[in-house]
Amino acid sequence: MNGLIADTAERIFSDHVDRGVLDAAEGGEFPDALWDVVREAGLHLVGSPGSGTEDGDLYELLKVAGRHAVPLPLAEVLVANSSLDEAGLTTIAVDGVAPWGRAADRVLTVEGEISGDFDVTEGANLAGESRDRIKLRDPRRVDLPARFYERMALSRAALMAGALDRILAMAIDYATEREQFGRPIAKFQAVQHNLAILAGEVAAARCACDGAIMSAASPNFGDAVGAAKTRVGEAAGIVAEIAHQVHGAMGFTHEHSLHHFTRRLWAWRDEYGRETHWQERLGRRVAGRGADSVWEFLVGIG
Amino acid sequence: MFAGLQFEPTRLPHEAEALRAEVREFVARELPPDYWPNSDFNEGHSPDFSGRLGERGWIGMTWPKRFGGGERTFFERYVVTEELLAAGAPVSAHWIADRQSGPLLLNYGTEDQCRRYLPRIAGGECFFSIGMSEPNAGSDLASVRTRAERVSDGWVVNGTKIWTTDAHRNHYIITLVRTEPPSENRHAGLSQLLIDLHGEGVTVRPIKNLAGGEDFNEVVFEDCFVGDDDVVGEPGNGWTQVTSELGYERSGPERFLSAFRVFVEFVRALGNEPSAGEAALIGRLASHLMTLRRMSISVAGMLQKGGSPVVESALVKSLGNDFEKLLGELVRLQAPPGHARLERCLRQTLLHSPSFTLRGGTREILRGVIARGLGLR
Repeated sequence: MNGLIADTAERIFSDHVDRGVLDAAEGGEFPDALWDVVREAGLHLVGSPGSGTEDGDLYELLKVAGRHAVPLPLAEVLVANSSLDEAGLTTIAVDGVAPWGRAADRVLTVEGEISGDFDVTEGANLAGESRDRIKLRDPRRVDLPARFYERMALSRAALMAGALDRILAMAIDYATEREQFGRPIAKFQAVQHNLAILAGEVAAARCACDGAIMSAASPNFGDAVGAAKTRVGEAAGIVAEIAHQVHGAMGFTHEHSLHHFTRRLWAWRDEYGRETHWQERLGRRVAGRGADSVWEFLVGIG
Repeated sequence: MFAGLQFEPTRLPHEAEALRAEVREFVARELPPDYWPNSDFNEGHSPDFSGRLGERGWIGMTWPKRFGGGERTFFERYVVTEELLAAGAPVSAHWIADRQSGPLLLNYGTEDQCRRYLPRIAGGECFFSIGMSEPNAGSDLASVRTRAERVSDGWVVNGTKIWTTDAHRNHYIITLVRTEPPSENRHAGLSQLLIDLHGEGVTVRPIKNLAGGEDFNEVVFEDCFVGDDDVVGEPGNGWTQVTSELGYERSGPERFLSAFRVFVEFVRALGNEPSAGEAALIGRLASHLMTLRRMSISVAGMLQKGGSPVVESALVKSLGNDFEKLLGELVRLQAPPGHARLERCLRQTLLHSPSFTLRGGTREILRGVIARGLGLR
């Protein structure tokens, strides 16, 4: 894994993703300036053949992006570019909906159809992120690499792991600064215990996600991704709930930036298979092996 | 990013994975075909089985060879322990000695103590109990009242320990005592003494638990003499030692596998083609198990690097214990009727479940440790 990429991304997103950019994106405006910076740094090619980076770097980059709620279709661009060995702004449609279809050069569907000519009906998810309805004209078929859908699911899990990290940091900062009854609320045991639960969920989510990233080249990748997407999704609900409780009414305002992360978690956990989708799939795999092979199966996934 | 919450992604090395098949083959051979697997590391006290594990070199695996150890990695130890637990093998006799008493002696004991005890522990012949809790000192461990008074060539111990697992069938107890009167620094003046459970001045009384079992005990010390050569570490250093011991105690696979047999029997009862809802529950539980396992392996990696992952261990134990309880509750609601094995496992797990979030540090204590790791206290 290349720590340099994460550092570069951290610096770029810290400098270029702020409240104004997020609000403008939510208003429907594609962040052209941010996209230019990302392209100039070559971040849109991370994970692509010939870029000198690996598949794992792609997901590490998405964790950083999640930590900053980067309002670009970065997961789609990275997975599309690395799959097709392309370099433009290709977004990916699932169930006819694609992030930033309105700004894309091309749209690729998870079924493997692609076209640069398409109709767009603008829309948004509950985080206010662009989710445009797409109708391809004259699509051509491309050969997608194996487990393409799983890679997209893991890309969502990686974004979520990053957002979860950020929420933990925000909740700790807020609890140590906000005073009630003459002391920081972090000094109250009830608050400490809630933050401990939150931290446990964040750590579990990160481990589940890292485990799937680690198995990118293994035949068990699909199972590892399934476990990651559902475990991260489960953590997302718990973490968002506790983080808002800790932040009180302040965190319920539009002015506070907590919602940029919690609303994304609520949206992302439903994209590319919500928890029950992956649970059922994983559960069928376990059941198919039979009770006496349960352990062997779990250990085999890694 | 926060110190204390870094779980580096860790893959078990090949030499560790290679042990898996050996352990499975050993278990299949050593346990009778009609063996009923234990669902918990606390069940199944078999000196005989422990002895055979010792012969295989699977106790004290990470210790130096000169003390009977195997000089193997924490990853190899991890694989052996998780395979034994998953098989429900009877491991409780040597468990504590292997997990924490031995490492404690290695870290703080004298050369002479290591020579006297470690080879016997590694051989699966010598079993230890933990002497921490007292009737009036549970979670508040620093308030222990068992005291040791200085005499010419040792100490005289008076007091009572409680909830001492297997004290009635183990050999020794490492006992946290007060060797100096309480002072402003509550953690000062504590020491650990290694005491023969069958020696003079020691009385062990089993305490029946709500499941009807008699695993834990009250251990009373009345003018019990302990020689200077059985003081573990420096007198007064007890708090530091106990804290490091708990790092070993809290992160292992036994902290999330206590309800594993319920999961296995649930899968058996549902058969190869569960409904969507049933499959989803299996998958949900599997995702938790896989994740906890990754975290526990990551902690094994920290131990391998010589770290002292106190906060990470508390976090794994806390998540793991909550999962063990959740598993039984969720399975109960979807358990098909008429499956005797599943019913038996569920009953057993439910009856033991209160102990999951008490032993080895209560949920509340663990959350406090995590909160401290987050810089909140």
